[in-house]
Amino acid sequence: MTLLSLQGVTRRFGGLVAVDAIDLEVAQGGVTAVIGPNGAGKTTLFNMISGFQTPNAGRIMFAGQDITARPPEEIAASGLIRTFQLVQLFQNLSVLENIQVGCHLHTKGGVLSALMRTGSTRQTEREVESRALELLDFVGLEGAAEAEATALAYGQQRLLEIARALAAKPKLLLLDEPAAGLSADESKRLSAAIRAIAGRGTTVLLIEHDMKLVMNTADTIAVLDFGRKIAEGPPATVRENPAVIAAYLGVGDA
Amino acid sequence: MRRGLAALPWAVACAMLAYAFITGGYFVTIMSFAMIYAVFIIGLNVFMGFAGQVSFGHNAFAALSGYTSAVLTATYYWEPLAAFAVGLGLALLVALVVGWPTLRLKGHYLAMATLAIGLIVYEIAIQWQSVTQGYMGISGIAPLGIGGYEIVSERGKLFALMVFVLLAAFAAARLRASRFGRALAAIAGSEDAARALGINVPHYKLAAFLVSAAYAALAGSLFVHVVEFVSPEVFGLHMVVLAFTMLYVGGIGTIGGPILGAVIVSLLPEVFRGLKDYQDLFYGAGLILLLIYAPKGLAGLGNLMSRGGKA
Amino acid sequence: MPDLSYLPQIALSGIAVGCIYGLIGIGFCVIYNASGIVNFAQGAFVMMGGMIAYSALTALGLPLPVAAAAAIVVVAAVGVIIERIVVRPLWDRKATMFVMILATLAAQIVVERLALIVAGDQPRTLPPFSDLPPIRLGTVVISYQFLWIVGISLLLIILLDQFFKRTKTGKAMRACAFNREAASLQGINVSRMLSLSFALSAGLGAIAGVLITPTQYTSFNVGVPFAISGFIAAIVGGFGHPLGAFMGGIMLGLAQSIAIVAFGAGLKNVAALSVLLIFLFIRPGGILGEAK
Repeated sequence: MTLLSLQGVTRRFGGLVAVDAIDLEVAQGGVTAVIGPNGAGKTTLFNMISGFQTPNAGRIMFAGQDITARPPEEIAASGLIRTFQLVQLFQNLSVLENIQVGCHLHTKGGVLSALMRTGSTRQTEREVESRALELLDFVGLEGAAEAEATALAYGQQRLLEIARALAAKPKLLLLDEPAAGLSADESKRLSAAIRAIAGRGTTVLLIEHDMKLVMNTADTIAVLDFGRKIAEGPPATVRENPAVIAAYLGVGDA
Repeated sequence: MRRGLAALPWAVACAMLAYAFITGGYFVTIMSFAMIYAVFIIGLNVFMGFAGQVSFGHNAFAALSGYTSAVLTATYYWEPLAAFAVGLGLALLVALVVGWPTLRLKGHYLAMATLAIGLIVYEIAIQWQSVTQGYMGISGIAPLGIGGYEIVSERGKLFALMVFVLLAAFAAARLRASRFGRALAAIAGSEDAARALGINVPHYKLAAFLVSAAYAALAGSLFVHVVEFVSPEVFGLHMVVLAFTMLYVGGIGTIGGPILGAVIVSLLPEVFRGLKDYQDLFYGAGLILLLIYAPKGLAGLGNLMSRGGKA
Repeated sequence: MPDLSYLPQIALSGIAVGCIYGLIGIGFCVIYNASGIVNFAQGAFVMMGGMIAYSALTALGLPLPVAAAAAIVVVAAVGVIIERIVVRPLWDRKATMFVMILATLAAQIVVERLALIVAGDQPRTLPPFSDLPPIRLGTVVISYQFLWIVGISLLLIILLDQFFKRTKTGKAMRACAFNREAASLQGINVSRMLSLSFALSAGLGAIAGVLITPTQYTSFNVGVPFAISGFIAAIVGGFGHPLGAFMGGIMLGLAQSIAIVAFGAGLKNVAALSVLLIFLFIRPGGILGEAK
């Protein structure tokens, strides 16, 4: 079943066409990667899918709904959660609290319930806390709950951001260059985490540069160049594709 | 050692309050003044410390509620509580109407718009003489009280105010350790990430704005009943500068910081008793030094209260 | 029905004070464009322009043009001092925008209080630049000071325009406005640009102060109202090109005149502030900028 579908999605910036009539179908389940050289339009594509930028043309369908040009918080509410290329943690909150924010979407309670703290509010808070702790363990950060979010190593901050996104119960998780700035070891851990997430039933769509991570982690790869899709398929096929090799001109250790 | 240093301001603050009760007299007035400002900035802290936003104009809400309390009780002989209810309602209504477009602005536009709001209310207080008596102000306002009972003694007022401050701080602490508080902190940390997690940012900014406006309104009405006088200057630019100084001295983003800042800064005029003209000069210079060298304030010393804010 | 016969005369004084607002607004723009900071001490420069010129005139007996020039130079230097003592440390510590605004506001207060302590609270004024009778055009009276104000303002606009377009330094400042990092990579001394922008801004403020003082008084606390009006002018003009702030100032001055005629002098500040709010809500980009 197709979870995410892009039809003719285009984005121009003045005279520059950053994304050129892209068609993409992401099936439910598994890990799909979008790769391509710098400037190929990947981040712009992600921004349009997640609602941070509006396409000039084309349609984006998610879980049967048209999400083209809808605001980010609405798209998030329909089950599409993204992370950011430069980690956007909430510095004023602890590691655990960061993840708890992810639970916001599926809980209720505003000023009044905060002030009155009824039994049901307390119950919800307990559930939120235990869910956050569970996710903390899942990404391998157990024990760091009370630490300052910014005190973590960069690779751990990445994992924290992913745990936070998972707390929002995504149907589709969008990871924006998750391996950027990570060491080889950290990349391996990330790859394992991504496979575990897919194993749990969440579909993952990621942008990446790190060819090793992509080849090891993704089920399907789509390749962009100059805003166009030039190849698509399983890793083994894509890495042999002459157009892909030409676009990259020997970059990475594919 | 660090803990000792961090506890020092608290010790001073408690000592001051105890001293006020024991000696009575002028000192009680100073501490009462500090308590009223503490309520004001605990609220401002919710908007600026928790949610990381900016407002130079919350004195407007104090003015709106304060003047409503003053006019309704002094001119129309209303009960203070009922008058405050109306004042609070007015302040919240204005905050809603004005906040909705204003909060969509960013950075210095937001700062300037809130400053403009504060100045507009100030100007209206001066110009609308038929109601506010302009510069002369309104005097003979009823003291704090419910039913027939009135708090007239200075110590009694201070005690009542301390109760208000404790309730205010308690409420703020509850807000911060809740889903609501986390949403505000998320907005302060990264609006984009907050939106990507489904948080309706404009909605929460407005909520924080209204909550802090409510605190400001309470502070405004408390002021007019405690001092039994009101004039435009009471809620003018001086209040803004003083409030910010207190907020930064105490430690923005913390729970106890505002109280600490209010007490310590209220004591300063006494240090400069003979140098009235120099007061604002030293406040200004002090604030600059504070912003450069100690932006986390006294409560940030030694991290006694967890997590200082970022604004 | 408000008395419209006064309108032309009041409009003229609105234009004059609007030029002043415009000059102050340009000062805001210059600093903002070079650094992203809104300098709330701008009003202090205006106040000092008039006050120092007065002191140079009376205490030192200097002729008016020399006194004015001296005031402008001194204020420009003060601008750099404020930049070095208040702004630079915060800038180096990567303080947030709000902290910068608050610090400059505090600097404004410090300067104000110093002026009060040094010079007392008596209002001062300067003699008009030309000791000539005003020109009569029908029912309207045009004073020579009006001509000086408008004339010098327009001259300054032209000079600034040429400065930013033609000179190396001017272009360097514009480069900083677009992209500080790129400018720095191009070899532009960004921190020198910052000091220069403060000096220029302060100088403009001082000129504004000297120009307007003959038509009204100056005193230690005129800074903040001028700063607010100048800021409104800058916003209405879109915080970009000097001409925008100037037009913004004129518009504000005229809006105030209309408000005075329609509602009486009391509400002129409310009118000005409402103009600000309206522009912020509808068109924060200003007249020349983009709509939100």
